[in-house]
Amino acid sequence: MNATPIPETGPHAPYGGRPVPAIAPVVVYGTGWCAATQGVRRHLDRRGVQCHYVDIEKDPAAAARLRWMTGGSLSHPTVSVAGEVLVEPSLYEVDWALSRAGMM
Amino acid sequence: MEGKPYSRRLQDLEDRFEQLDPLIPEGHEKEAISVLHGIVQELLRSLHRGGGAPSTDGPTLADIAELHRRAPPMEGESHSTPLSVGARAPDLSLQDGNGRLVSLHDFRGRPVILVFYPLDWSPSCSDQLSLYQAESGEFDKYAVQLLGVSVDSIYSHGAWAAVRGLTFPLLADFEPKGEVARRYQVWRPKEGFCERALYVVDKDGMIRYSYVSPKLDQVPDIYELYRVLDSLQAPVHGAPEVAGRK
Repeated sequence: MNATPIPETGPHAPYGGRPVPAIAPVVVYGTGWCAATQGVRRHLDRRGVQCHYVDIEKDPAAAARLRWMTGGSLSHPTVSVAGEVLVEPSLYEVDWALSRAGMM
Repeated sequence: MEGKPYSRRLQDLEDRFEQLDPLIPEGHEKEAISVLHGIVQELLRSLHRGGGAPSTDGPTLADIAELHRRAPPMEGESHSTPLSVGARAPDLSLQDGNGRLVSLHDFRGRPVILVFYPLDWSPSCSDQLSLYQAESGEFDKYAVQLLGVSVDSIYSHGAWAAVRGLTFPLLADFEPKGEVARRYQVWRPKEGFCERALYVVDKDGMIRYSYVSPKLDQVPDIYELYRVLDSLQAPVHGAPEVAGRK
């Protein structure tokens, strides 16, 4: 028997259809001169994925936050997709993370 | 872009973790928590990547393409002043990785990006040229020709291009070594290779942009390069804008 999917929104959604954002946040931490950072940003551009780009050389608070998230590393690029923190990921890894977040 | 709702659980935990950062005093305990978090994230990555037995057939092409990540870093400040914008670009004729003679004047009538880079196989150069390869579709919209120049031999160029999948010409400024780099004022005599530098030459052979990276391991900003190309001409074929570029 096929199960009826639980509606995520509308009057029949559980808990009043608590809104779920359609787009997972994507943050790219990097520098303007890093080829790999530029490569990830352009890759996201081509995919039509909106990202928040943080230049860690211009934003010390963001750099400190990055250290906190990565266990002390300031490696760039670091890409955060829906809670997954990817340090120097390949573009395939980025795509898979986007896919898991329903963005591809 | 349209997206499907995603599971917020991991994102919520990450958000909470981020909020805790300023609340925990600096010290070894905080560092240990941060390291543990890093370990968890790396474990998650390794789960997603999957496993499998390592190859017993020796290194693969992908292994070789990744060698630059473990190569010694390339460091050093720039000490060159490039040729001025508005000057005529000196002509050049060099062999590419296939042994074909390529000249700047071959491309008269269309813009050319001259990419001077220190060495094949080196860390930043590998990432920089792969970045440009990934942009080839966008460069086509500008009808712009990309030419890489370094002191490496045609054989090094050929092998490197094959491993990295580079399809634009890599020119061998090999003998007399660095002559073209000297002509373009981007030679580093102490090291025996050139600066990391970009020239944009317009369809009439005039220099419209010149840039030398202040440090050898720093790659020019691709978004700035597109602004230069935008200023030269509108993309051909009626393409309104380079895909998604912000």
